[in-house]
Amino acid sequence: MYKWFFAWRYLHTKLIALFGVASVTLCVAMVLVVLSVMGGFLDTLRERSRGLHSEIVVESGSIQGFPYYQQFEAYLNKHLPNVIKTTTPAIYSYGIVRVRATAYTRPCRVLGIRLSDYIQVNEFGNGLHYEGFYPGTTKLGAQGMPLAGFNETNRLALPPDHEQASAVWRKKQSDLAAIDEYDARPFETAPFPKELAVTSGGSRVFSMHFESPRYEGPERYGVIIGSDLLFDRLSGGRFDRYLARGANISLTLMPLSQTGSPTGEPPVKLPLRYVDDSHTGIFEIDDLCIYVDFDMVQHKLGMDPQPRVDGGTTAARTNQLLISLQPGVGLYESKAGITDAWNEFILEIDRNLSAADAQSLSFVKVHTWEDLQRPFINAVEKEKVLVTFLFALISIVAIVLLGCIFYMIVEKKTRDIGTLKALGASSGGVASIFISYALVVGISGSVLGTLVGSLFVWNINGIQDFLASLNPQLRVWSPEVYSFDKIPEVVKTADAIWVASIAVVASVIGSFIPAALAGRVWPVQALRYE
Amino acid sequence: MLLRARNIFKTYAMGRTEVPVLRNASVSAEKGEFLVILGASGSGKSTLLHILGALDTPDRGTVEFDGESVTLLPAARRNHYRNQKIGFVFQFYHLLPEFTVLENVMMPRMISQSVISWITTRRKARRDAQALLERVGLADRVLHRPKELSGGERQRVAIARALVNRPAILLADEPTGNLDSKIGEEILRLLVSFSDEGQTIVMVTHDLQLASHAHRRLLLEDGALREYRESRPSTHFAAKEVAP
Ligand SMILES: Nc1ncnc2c1ncn2[C@@H]1O[C@H](COP(=O)(O)OP(=O)(O)O)[C@@H](O)[C@H]1O
Ligand SMILES: [Mg+2]
Repeated sequence: MYKWFFAWRYLHTKLIALFGVASVTLCVAMVLVVLSVMGGFLDTLRERSRGLHSEIVVESGSIQGFPYYQQFEAYLNKHLPNVIKTTTPAIYSYGIVRVRATAYTRPCRVLGIRLSDYIQVNEFGNGLHYEGFYPGTTKLGAQGMPLAGFNETNRLALPPDHEQASAVWRKKQSDLAAIDEYDARPFETAPFPKELAVTSGGSRVFSMHFESPRYEGPERYGVIIGSDLLFDRLSGGRFDRYLARGANISLTLMPLSQTGSPTGEPPVKLPLRYVDDSHTGIFEIDDLCIYVDFDMVQHKLGMDPQPRVDGGTTAARTNQLLISLQPGVGLYESKAGITDAWNEFILEIDRNLSAADAQSLSFVKVHTWEDLQRPFINAVEKEKVLVTFLFALISIVAIVLLGCIFYMIVEKKTRDIGTLKALGASSGGVASIFISYALVVGISGSVLGTLVGSLFVWNINGIQDFLASLNPQLRVWSPEVYSFDKIPEVVKTADAIWVASIAVVASVIGSFIPAALAGRVWPVQALRYE
Repeated sequence: MLLRARNIFKTYAMGRTEVPVLRNASVSAEKGEFLVILGASGSGKSTLLHILGALDTPDRGTVEFDGESVTLLPAARRNHYRNQKIGFVFQFYHLLPEFTVLENVMMPRMISQSVISWITTRRKARRDAQALLERVGLADRVLHRPKELSGGERQRVAIARALVNRPAILLADEPTGNLDSKIGEEILRLLVSFSDEGQTIVMVTHDLQLASHAHRRLLLEDGALREYRESRPSTHFAAKEVAP
C-alpha cells in the first residue's frame, strides 16, 4: 500500500518529478502529432485517390492508346452484367492551354471525358465550381458564352437556364450563411466583350452587357480547368477567378499516329470555352489537368477511325476505360474477373488484328484504383513509419532522462529507503515504490501529452496560419509540397491509446535500473550518518 | 528469554585491513526488561543493535527471538520481524520528510498492509497513531512536517513510530545523542514510562547518566559484553568517551 502513497507524495512534492512528467508529455504529444498528421495525410490521400479514378481502370499507359475499347465495353456488359455498373472511356494527352484575354499559357494534361458518364464512375462532379451553384449548366459540348444583362423588370440577371439552376441550388442549400453570401453578391461582372473580372477575387464571374441576358456566339466546345492551373489561391481555400464563365481558351495538341510518331500535320489548335473549374484537392492534378469532350478530342487527336491505305479504316482508340462496379462486389475479385474477360476478348478478336493493333493491345492492363495509387501511397506509408520511428527514437532520450531523474531521486532518498527497510519494507517493496512512481509519472505524462497533442492537431491549421502571419517563412505546410490544401487535423483514438500506453510502459522500463538500485540499498549503511 | 544473541562476531573490511568490531559478544533481554548497553564511541554498539534488529547479519553467532533463530530467517520473514517484533529509534530520528507526523507514525502499519486491507484498517491505524502521539505529547502537531519540529519533538515522533505496531522489543540507538541534556532527559523519561508499562527496551549509549534508570547495564568493550559495575573506575570509560 505504501508504494502508491509514496509514488503519489513524491509526484507532488518533488519538482523534479514535474520534469519527468513534462518529458513524457512532450514525447507523447510529439509522436501523436506526427502520427496523426501523417496518418491523416495517408487517409486523405487514399480517399482522394479513390475519388479520382474509377474502381477499375483498363489502360495501356502509352499515349497513343489502345483500340477496340467499345467492343470490350459491349463484351463486358454482355458477360459480366452483375459486376459492371458503368463503363466510360477517357483520353490522356498533353497540350498547351492559352487564355485568350491575357495570352497566358501553361502546359497541361488533357483528359478527354464523357462528362455525364465520368461523374458517375468517380467523384469528379463534386469538385466542379460553377456546377455547384448552377447545377446542370456545366457541359463540354459546343456552346456560346453566357452573358448577364437586364431582364424585363430591368434587373441584372443571368440567362434563364442559369437563373433556374441557381433557384434549384438555393432550394437545396441548407446553409443559410451561404445563401446570404450569395445574395449579397450573386456574381462578379466582366464588361463584354472583355472577359476579365472588374474586381479580383470573385467567386462567380460573368460577362455582362446592357441588353437582355442570353448566350452569345460563336459556339465552342467547353473546357473544365484544374483550379490551380490558372487561378491563384486566396486564403480560406478560395480562388481568384478573374476569368468570366465562357471565356475563350485555346488548346494546342499534338496528335500521334497509332505507332506513336507525330502524324506529320501541324499541331492542332482548338478554340474552347472555359465552362468550369475542377478542384479535386490534390494539387498535382489541380495544377495540371484540363478536361474536354471525349469525342471531340478523340477526333482532333486522330484517335477516331482513320482511313487506311489499303481502303479499310483503323479502329477508334482510347487511353483508358474506366469501370465502376455494382455495389457490393469485391474490388479484387472484379479485377480478376475483368482481367480474364480481357484475355478472352483478345483471343476472340485476335484473328483480324493488324500488327499495330496487336502491339497497342499488348500494353493493356487491368488495374484497381489502389494499384494505380500504390507507389505513391507506399512511399507516404514508408515515410510515416520512418518519421514515427525517428520520433520514437527521440523518445528513448526521454526514457533515459526519466531514468536519470529516478536515479537522482533514489540517490537523494537513500536514507529514507534505509529507514523504510528498518521499518520492515522489503527490497521488492522499496523497488516498486519507484516503479509505481514511474507508472504515476508515465500515466500523468501520457494523459497530458495526449491532451496537448490532440489540441495541437485539432488546431494545427490555425497555429500554422498564426505562425505564417508572423513570418511567411514559417508556413511549413504548403499545398504544392503536400498535395492537399489543409493539414489533416484528426486524432485517431487507436493511435492515441497506442502512443499513451507505450509511453507508460516506457516510463516504467526507464525506472527499472533506479528501482533495482533502491531495492539494493543496504539499510545499515544508509542509516549510519545524518 | 525474549531475545538472545550468542557468540556474535562481526568484522568490517576497510579496504585491505579488517576491523573486528564484535568478538564473541553475547547478550540476552528478558520480557519487560530495560537493558542499557554502555560503550565508548566506536565500540560497536550500533553494529550490535543492528544485528539484534535483523538489519545486519553477524559473521558468526546466532540471534534468537522467542526461541527462534532470526539470523536464519528468509528475507520475507526478516522483514516481518523488523516490522512487527522490533521498533527502532535512531540517534538522528530518520523521519520521512515528505510525510506528516501522523503519516510517519502510521508508516509501519502501511508497510504491512495491501491496498485492499488498508482500506479497512486505515481508521484503526490512524486512531492508534493519534493515541500514541497524544501519549508522547504531540497531539497538536499531527499534521506538521518533521522539519517543522524541534529535535526533541522529532525523537518523540520516532518513538511513537517505533511503537505503533506494538513491538515486543524497542531498540534505541543513542536516542538522546543528538539532543541537549535537558531534552535528552525528557526523552529518557518517556522511555522509562513505556518501560514501566512493561515495554521491553534495549538501549545503547555512551552516556553513563542515562543508564541510571536501567534494570540492567552491560558494557561493550573490546568486542564483547560484560556486566557493568558501578565500582569500576569510571575515569577510564570517561576518557574513552571524549575521544572521537
Ligand atoms: N560499514 C562499515 N565499514 C567499515 N567500518 C565500519 C562500518 N560500520 C562501522 N564500522 C566501524 O566499526 C566500528 C564500530 O562502529 P559502530 O557500531 O557504529 O560503533 P558505535 O555505534 O559504538 O559508535 C567503528 O570503528 C566504525 O568505524
Ligand atoms: Mg553508533
